Amino acid sequence: MSWSPGPVRGHWSALARVILLCVLGMAVLFPIYWMLVIAITPTGFSRSLPGILPQTVTFENFVSLFTERPMARWLVNSIIVAALASFLSLVFGTSCGYVLSKMKFRGAGLVMIGVLVTQMMPGTSIIVPLYILFRDLGLLDTMSGMVVGHISLVVPIAIWMSKGFFDRIPQDLEASARIDGCTRLGAYLYVSLPLAVPGLAAIFIYGFVTSWHDFLFAHSLVHSQQLWTAANGISSFRGQYFTLHELQMAAALVFALPVIIVFIVMQRWIVSGAMTGSVR
Amino acid sequence: MEPKSDATGRADAAIALRRRRWVALRRSLTEGGGFVFLMLLPALFVVGAVIGVPMLRAVEMSFNTINFRRPAMAGTYGFHNYGKLFEDPDTWSAVALSAIYMFGTVVGSVALALCAALLTRRIVRFRAFWRVVFLLPWTVPAVVTALVWGVMYDGNFGIINRLLDYVPFMTGANWLIDRQTAFPALIVAQIWNEFPVAYIFILAGLHAIPEELYEAARIDRARAIQQFWYITVPQLRFILAVVVVLLMIMGFKSFPIIYILTGGGPAGATETLTVLTFNTAFRGLDFSYAATLGILALAISVILVLSYLRLVARLQHERGGQ
Repeated sequence: MSWSPGPVRGHWSALARVILLCVLGMAVLFPIYWMLVIAITPTGFSRSLPGILPQTVTFENFVSLFTERPMARWLVNSIIVAALASFLSLVFGTSCGYVLSKMKFRGAGLVMIGVLVTQMMPGTSIIVPLYILFRDLGLLDTMSGMVVGHISLVVPIAIWMSKGFFDRIPQDLEASARIDGCTRLGAYLYVSLPLAVPGLAAIFIYGFVTSWHDFLFAHSLVHSQQLWTAANGISSFRGQYFTLHELQMAAALVFALPVIIVFIVMQRWIVSGAMTGSVR
Repeated sequence: MEPKSDATGRADAAIALRRRRWVALRRSLTEGGGFVFLMLLPALFVVGAVIGVPMLRAVEMSFNTINFRRPAMAGTYGFHNYGKLFEDPDTWSAVALSAIYMFGTVVGSVALALCAALLTRRIVRFRAFWRVVFLLPWTVPAVVTALVWGVMYDGNFGIINRLLDYVPFMTGANWLIDRQTAFPALIVAQIWNEFPVAYIFILAGLHAIPEELYEAARIDRARAIQQFWYITVPQLRFILAVVVVLLMIMGFKSFPIIYILTGGGPAGATETLTVLTFNTAFRGLDFSYAATLGILALAISVILVLSYLRLVARLQHERGGQ
């Protein structure tokens, strides 16, 4: 894409713009940079850093994270829960997104508003009754309970985003399949669904990240330390090792980095996916 | 012979009828209303199980007395939780704090996002780079945002206080412990985490403004600030409205940043509605009252979502009219 240069009032204005942009960019990136700096500083030394540059580089914080604390365990738990919750939400949610996109039926508006409300209400509204229900059903403090909890977070996203992706598949494609004698169900299974696969992959990733980032459900539904997901695990560091900034930041970095890397690699894709999910 | 053939005839008719019904059912399931039902079924089942049932349970709990401190009271039904909702000053202080939090994060995020979007919109070189820079905080989990800002805000060793030492007439503070500074400090952390959402929308909105408008303005020798007020702002107003409601919803939902950094303290100074709900249940052990607070939050979200949908509909209408 090319953009016309715009109202450039001489070089000074352009220079001021670039300087302002750099200052703003550095301010925005600073917390991430600072997390990195403290994470590679030896334990106890971050408080005496003279400036904002790292002095001694060490990886001992990461080593201690994986040898002395159950970080690996928590990460594995997070992966299992996120993969299951996201996959199941996709399986259950996609067909709903399809009918919302392609068919007119009574109550469609109500279904859509309901889905949006469940996506946008505070998690604390649902966690209180869910906790009591899980207590009665014996699902508290289990991995399956956590997966169920996270499905309630991810399914509305899956429905809403898949509707957005199906909206973009032209009606003509299905119409021609239907002329050839294909049923509605057939048109869905053999025409629309295969075309939506890239979208479904995006939804899976988005759902995975939602579950990976979740703190509220992870914190409320599971007590045993070996069942914690990483979000809950690293948050406990603030309470337990309040002054051990280096360890906290190393844990935060390990937890945040995979998502940051995935985002940078696929930013174009994710941004457009998130936009269809929320705008439409 | 006669009755037998009649019986066969009837049997044939019955078979034919059953077959017709079966065909009609199959047809309905693959083509018509049955198809819609079939397709909605999995999602309705799951949403009903993981959201519908808990919501119904929440309503039941809000009339019940499920308080782990007073287990003997369970089964006492009444409107007492709703009475408490209107009488307890903590509830309304929490609602007010949620409102301030929403307002603060919306204003801050939109201002920051608008600056970033205006500065990057005509960038030719490193476009993707700058976009990643301003979207990056969005990819940082709320839990990590809380930890990082907690470390930066630290009263003794935090980088913010150390940098403030170099600024004349500014003194550091115990950001998260001082009643005066704790809430604004949380709002800043939330802004950092969520302004990229506003940035994406505003950038997309800016790119949708026809360049001819600016060209015409330049021919008329309009100054940059005039172009901003008379072209950019009016053209962006619906996108901005949508962004504002979306950010309000995000601010209203916000839990991990506040909970991890202050837990609602000092002395309730940062206890928004979500944090109050959580603390009522898991610290106060009054699950019934917490469920009632949850229903209040749900009602507020419904209002927010409906206004969001109205705005989006108007936005699409506006675009279609152009």
